Amino acid sequence: MKIRKMMTVLMATTLVAGCFWGCGSSSKSGDSSSDSKELNICVWDGTFSEDAISKFEKDNDCTVNVTYIDNTDTLISKLVEGSGEYDVCDIEAAYVKTFVDNGLLQKIDHSAIPNEEYVDDSLMKTGAVGDEKMEYTTPDQNAGYTVILYNKETCPMEITSFKDLTNPKLKGQIAMVNSTISLYGAALEALGYKADSKDEKEIKEANDLLTEIKGNVKTFVGESAVSALENGECSVALCWDYATLCADSEENWDKFAVADIDSDYEKFLQYWGITSTSEKTELATKFINYMISPEAVAMHMKDWGGVPMVKEEYIKDLLPEGYYDNPSIAKYEELADKSWMVAVSDDQISIMDTYYTLLMGQ
Amino acid sequence: MQKSNEKKEFHRSKKTKKEMLTQVLMRAPMCVWALLFILAPMVLLAFMSFMTKGPLGIIQYKFTTENYKDMADAVYATVIKQSLVVAGWTTLLTVLLGYPLANFIAKVKSKTSTILTVLLMLPLWVSGLVVLYSFVILLNNSGIINTVLLNLGIIGKPLQMLYNNFAVVAGMLYMFLPFAVLPMYSSIEKLDGGLIEASKDLGAGPVKTFMKVTLPLTSPGIFAAVILTFIPCIGYYMVTDMLGGGTNMMIGNLIYRQFTISRNWPFGAALSMVLALIILLMVFIYTKLGGDLDDLGA
Repeated sequence: MKIRKMMTVLMATTLVAGCFWGCGSSSKSGDSSSDSKELNICVWDGTFSEDAISKFEKDNDCTVNVTYIDNTDTLISKLVEGSGEYDVCDIEAAYVKTFVDNGLLQKIDHSAIPNEEYVDDSLMKTGAVGDEKMEYTTPDQNAGYTVILYNKETCPMEITSFKDLTNPKLKGQIAMVNSTISLYGAALEALGYKADSKDEKEIKEANDLLTEIKGNVKTFVGESAVSALENGECSVALCWDYATLCADSEENWDKFAVADIDSDYEKFLQYWGITSTSEKTELATKFINYMISPEAVAMHMKDWGGVPMVKEEYIKDLLPEGYYDNPSIAKYEELADKSWMVAVSDDQISIMDTYYTLLMGQ
Repeated sequence: MQKSNEKKEFHRSKKTKKEMLTQVLMRAPMCVWALLFILAPMVLLAFMSFMTKGPLGIIQYKFTTENYKDMADAVYATVIKQSLVVAGWTTLLTVLLGYPLANFIAKVKSKTSTILTVLLMLPLWVSGLVVLYSFVILLNNSGIINTVLLNLGIIGKPLQMLYNNFAVVAGMLYMFLPFAVLPMYSSIEKLDGGLIEASKDLGAGPVKTFMKVTLPLTSPGIFAAVILTFIPCIGYYMVTDMLGGGTNMMIGNLIYRQFTISRNWPFGAALSMVLALIILLMVFIYTKLGGDLDDLGA
C-alpha cells in the first residue's frame, strides 16, 4: 500500500516536472560562443542542396543548423523578437532595405569571398534596393521572374498585356500567385504606375483591375502553379515557376511559354547576409563563399533546377549535359532588362494588405 | 472509549489529509499544463490585442481599442461573415448526412458497428494535409477519377471537380464527418428501444415516432455534433485554400496574414480573441439548450 502511494506521488511529481521541461533558458543544440564550430543559418526551403551543406560541414569540421522558412516576414519577426539566433540568412531582395535600415545585418568582407569572381556579372553589377553597393549582402542565386505563363495548346487567346487577363475567354483558366507585392506590383506596372507606389488612389485602381481578373481566376497558389498547369486545370498562370516547370520535364519546353507583354515583369533575387548579432563572422563568410562556388551551385541546380548564378564557363562541365538547352535560361537573360524590383515598406504593405483582404473577401 | 474514538478520528483525518494530498498531486500536472499552455497564452493574446503595432511589427505597449474598432470595417466583416457561412453550411451538411450514418452504425451488430466506427475514425489518424493532397490527386483533370472515366469512354473531356464548391464540400464533409457522427452515434446507441416500441404500439407511424421520440431524445448528440463540427470548421482554411482554389479569404487566412505578411500582431490577436469569443458563445448557447459539456469531451 505504502509503495503504491509512493509510486503515485512519484508519478505525479514526475508529471509536474515534465510540464516544466524545457521551460528554462533556451540554449541551442550547440554552443553559441564565437569559437564554437557551429553555424545557424536560415534559408528558404527548396533552394539549396543539403549535400552542399554537408560537404561544407565535412570540409570545415563544423555543424550547420538549418532553419527553413517560407516567407521573409517570419524571419524578420524572429530576428526582431530575438527568438532567432541566426548567423547567416537568405534574404529576399525586396526586404534587404528593411534589414539594412533596421541594423539587422553586419557588413560583409568581400575580400574573404573570392568565389564572387565566378558569379554572373549581371548579379554583381548592383545590389538590391537599400544595399546597392552590396556592403551588407551578396547574391545567393540567380534572378527569378514572376511571369505570365501559358499553355500553347490550350490557352484560348494570345496574351499581350497584363490587362488581357480580364478577358472573359480566360474564365476559370488562370492560376495566380497570392503574393500581395507580386499581384499589386504587376497591376500597378500595367496601369503605368510604379510597382512600389504608396499612393492609395493608384493602389485602389490596381485593386479594381485585380478584382476584374479575379473573376477569371480558378486558383490562387501560395507556392507553385506547376501542378495546376501540368495537370491541365489552368492554361494560364501568373507565377514564378517557369524555371521549375522547365526543369520538371523537357516536354514542358515546347508546351509552355512566357507571354510577351507590354509591361515589365517582377524580378526577384535572394541575397546572403550575416546577422548583426552573429559572432561567427569568419565561419559565416566561409560558408557564403562555399555556397556560391561553382561546385556548390552545381549541387543546388541538380537538386532544384533553375538558372545557375555562376558564369556558364565555370559550371557547364559540372552540370548534366544539355542543361543549358533549358529555354528558361535564355528567357531569363532576356527578361533581365525588362523587369522591376521593389523594396517592401511597412506603409505600402499596410495599404496593400487592406486592399488584398478586400479583394479576397469578395 | 473516548480515547479510542479520538484515535480513530485522528487516523480518519490523517487519512483524509493524505487522500487530499494525493488528489492534489494527481491533479497538479493537468492544472499546471492548463495554466501554462491554455490560460497564460489566452491572457497574453487578450493583452496583445489592446496594444499598438510598431514599425517592423514590433509591439508597442500603448493601450488602444483600435484593433477591435477596425474589425467593424466592412473589409474584415465580410471575411468573418464568409467564414461563418462556410462553417454553417459544413455543419448543416455533416449533421444531415451524419445522422443516418450514426443511426445505421448504432443499429447493426456490435462487431460490424466496431468495424464501421474504426473506418469512420481513419481520416482522423491521417494528417489533414495528406488527406487534402489526396483529394487534389483524386479530383484534378488528370486525376484518378477523370482518367478512369475517360478511359472507359464515359466522358469525352475531364470533369471539372477541383477548385470549386463541389471540391470544398467534399473535402469539408470528409474532414468533419467523424466529429459529427461519433456524438450522434453515442446518443442513438443510448436510446431506450422500449420507447420506440411504445410509440409504435400507441399508433404512431415511423415519421411521427422519429419526430416525437427519436429526434428529441437524441438531440443532445445532435447539439454536440453541431458544436464539434462548427468550432474547428470556423478557423479552418486549408480546405477552401487547397480544394476551393483560395479565391475566398477565411478568418483563419486573415489571422495568419496578420502574424506573418502584415506583421500586425495586435490586430491578429484581436481577430483571434473574436474567434475565441464566437466559439465560447456557441458553447454557452449549447449548455443553455441543455447540452452536456461531457459530450464535447470537456
